Amino acid sequence: MPGVTFNQPKGALRVGWSANVDDYAIAGGWALNGEALLVADSAGGVHAFEGTSGKPRWARRGAHAGGAMTASIHPEGATLATGGQDGHVRLWNARDGAPGAALAFGDGWVEHLAWSPDGRWLAASCKREVRVYSMSGEELWRSPPHPSTVSALAWSGADVLATACYGRVTFFRMPTGGESQRLEWKGSLISMVLSPDGEIIACGSQDNSVHFWRRSSGQDSMMSGYPGKPAVLAFDDKGRLLATGGSEAVTVWSFEGDGPEDTEPGVLELHVMPISALAFEPRAQRLASGSRDGAVVLWTLNQAGHGEPCGVVQLPQPISGLHWRPDGRGLAAFDACGSVTAWRVGK
Amino acid sequence: MKKIPVTVLTGFLGSGKTTLLNRILSEQHGKRIAVIENEFGEIGIDQALIINADEEIFEMSNGCICCTVRGDLIRVLGNLMKRRDKFDYVVVETTGMADPGPVAQTFFMDDEVRSEFALDGIITLVDAHHVNQQLGRSKESTEQIAFADVLVLNKTDLVSPAELDALEARVRGMNRMAKIYRAERAQVPVEVVLGLDAFDLDKALIKKPTFLEPEYPFEWTGVYDLAAGRHEISLAEGPDPSMSLVAVVDQGSDDASLRASAEWCVRRWAETPLALAAGATIPLGRHVELQLQAPGRKSFVLELERPTRVGLFTQHTAEEFELQVSQRATSGEERVVPTQAERTWVAQHEHDDEVGSVGIELDGDIDDKKLNAWIGRLLRERGVDIFRMKGFISLVGEPRRFVFQGVHMLFDGQPDRPWGDAPRRNQLVFIGRNLDRESMTREFARCLA
Repeated sequence: MPGVTFNQPKGALRVGWSANVDDYAIAGGWALNGEALLVADSAGGVHAFEGTSGKPRWARRGAHAGGAMTASIHPEGATLATGGQDGHVRLWNARDGAPGAALAFGDGWVEHLAWSPDGRWLAASCKREVRVYSMSGEELWRSPPHPSTVSALAWSGADVLATACYGRVTFFRMPTGGESQRLEWKGSLISMVLSPDGEIIACGSQDNSVHFWRRSSGQDSMMSGYPGKPAVLAFDDKGRLLATGGSEAVTVWSFEGDGPEDTEPGVLELHVMPISALAFEPRAQRLASGSRDGAVVLWTLNQAGHGEPCGVVQLPQPISGLHWRPDGRGLAAFDACGSVTAWRVGK
Repeated sequence: MKKIPVTVLTGFLGSGKTTLLNRILSEQHGKRIAVIENEFGEIGIDQALIINADEEIFEMSNGCICCTVRGDLIRVLGNLMKRRDKFDYVVVETTGMADPGPVAQTFFMDDEVRSEFALDGIITLVDAHHVNQQLGRSKESTEQIAFADVLVLNKTDLVSPAELDALEARVRGMNRMAKIYRAERAQVPVEVVLGLDAFDLDKALIKKPTFLEPEYPFEWTGVYDLAAGRHEISLAEGPDPSMSLVAVVDQGSDDASLRASAEWCVRRWAETPLALAAGATIPLGRHVELQLQAPGRKSFVLELERPTRVGLFTQHTAEEFELQVSQRATSGEERVVPTQAERTWVAQHEHDDEVGSVGIELDGDIDDKKLNAWIGRLLRERGVDIFRMKGFISLVGEPRRFVFQGVHMLFDGQPDRPWGDAPRRNQLVFIGRNLDRESMTREFARCLA
């Protein structure tokens, strides 16, 4: 199948809608139970589209001078947080775009944001520092400076925040911010995902490997041999399958049984350019993958992480993000030139 | 897709990086430039996007120094890629103490950076007034000179011409690949620092068919204002029984015209010299060899049809042979003509610094298996000490020229254009610490097919 051009979605992907923002669609996702799709772009705007039609719902251009860099949608779906090159964290009402709190963090880039799973806290990072805010934007905690720029944030359960930077993953217990654990490894950790129960930490590393830790035992393993750096990672929501980029193939590690060590990962081959986005279907085992040439593929996976394509579409620009609608019946792709495309997804 | 060129600006604190950067940014070149700064400068120019980032050096778990990269650059460039329509050039200004290795390696090691950006060149500013102390004290200043594609000797107004010549000789000894410019207040034309294609060997070789900047076969130049008529050049006994020389007419005394004549004289030196006994007339613009075995002062004649400025490019310094130019006035009185300008040049093989360059030039075809084995071993054993290398090779049975370059152990080579009618030959340049020129030259010669 590689080399074949697909202009129309095939398989489980059905024609939906497409729309445009002003520049690189950098972050966002579905809000209001799939009623709206929110997109922040590198021109600094925040845009909302109707989930079913793609009709513009609201837009706030110039929200972040210099460009937006990150966004996180509150688990209840009614609030959007964005961060940008203006050093601010901004909150928005997902329904109408009304601005909420505008939080001045620092003179650097706000590169990462993550709402806690229960929605009580919002973690943000700028340079080497992490701050935690309440839902209303009240600052609750500041981290001590990390040894290098924070490269990822993730919550481990409701009240433990994990941060990644060069050489380590650190855990802070909220609301006091006490350091509860530190996992060290000499290497540049560039991405991080946690299994939903917070037990497994997976980091992509600059040296073309994926590093895992199990929190309870501290046991770690390194999966090397990737041709490129695995900057995109995704866990399914049962914490059984970890999909990783780092080449034209998607490599899927299964944590069934004794875990992925000494097993053969699933290798999903169809993309012809490196993987740039990965997302698991909620409450299911289908995986969406996007690549730098604009291809989006939907895969059905078995428990060992092996799988077959079940849907495919070719867009013209590199895929910058993939977002499943919370009900699993829709998938949105963002691209590097500001196109936003949504498909209906069949079973 | 065209990659965005990136220029790296290095140099010690106070060497003039910010002044040069301001100059680049304020020039009307129509380019939108993004600047990544690692020290807080005072730049505020509308058409430039300035990003401040702290230097973050990321070593890898395998301990390999060539895998060490600059995390801050990966992050900032990664974000710049997302606004590619907004700029078309990037300048990275490093801190004074920065090691250029990880900066350069970032452009080879990171697949995303490599797919969007191309390292255009490394520019090092040298504070002519303070560099000798800095070179003694820190390995960073040495490495910044060793890595450079362009060396700007700045603040030349604060040192004497003789000190400047000695400094140029010293840095040329360390780095034979770099172009050298002299400047006051970092005044160099923008085109000598941007758009160099120093890492795009095919393009670089079209601009100039050699990687080796000349180490001049002459040590000294004197410029004399001379009237029409007959002049005498006299020399005492010196360290050698002969000395070669080229006399150039219409010689300017500024740096650029001296350098232009120097390049021209390098080519004259490649011609067989005309041996001249004492009393002979020196033909203008010819490579001559003055025979100086006889004891006492010896004179040679220079005949000029019109008044002109003459540049004497001499194999040794004037001092060593007490060289004098004189003119007999109508009264019969002998008058010594003073120099209008003089300068010394880097002579071959006079290097005291630990860091130096090895240039190898050899005719003949090379066996690729032997070459691979040699380069492989050299980089394994000496990669840490080799900062930069470049070369082109004539491989046996290969109609195309093989070009390569490297930074530490990172080696990047491929065949490029066909040799066509050009003479097939080999040229390699290595810049590194404690390199053994003789053994490297010998070992390369063993790779001949």
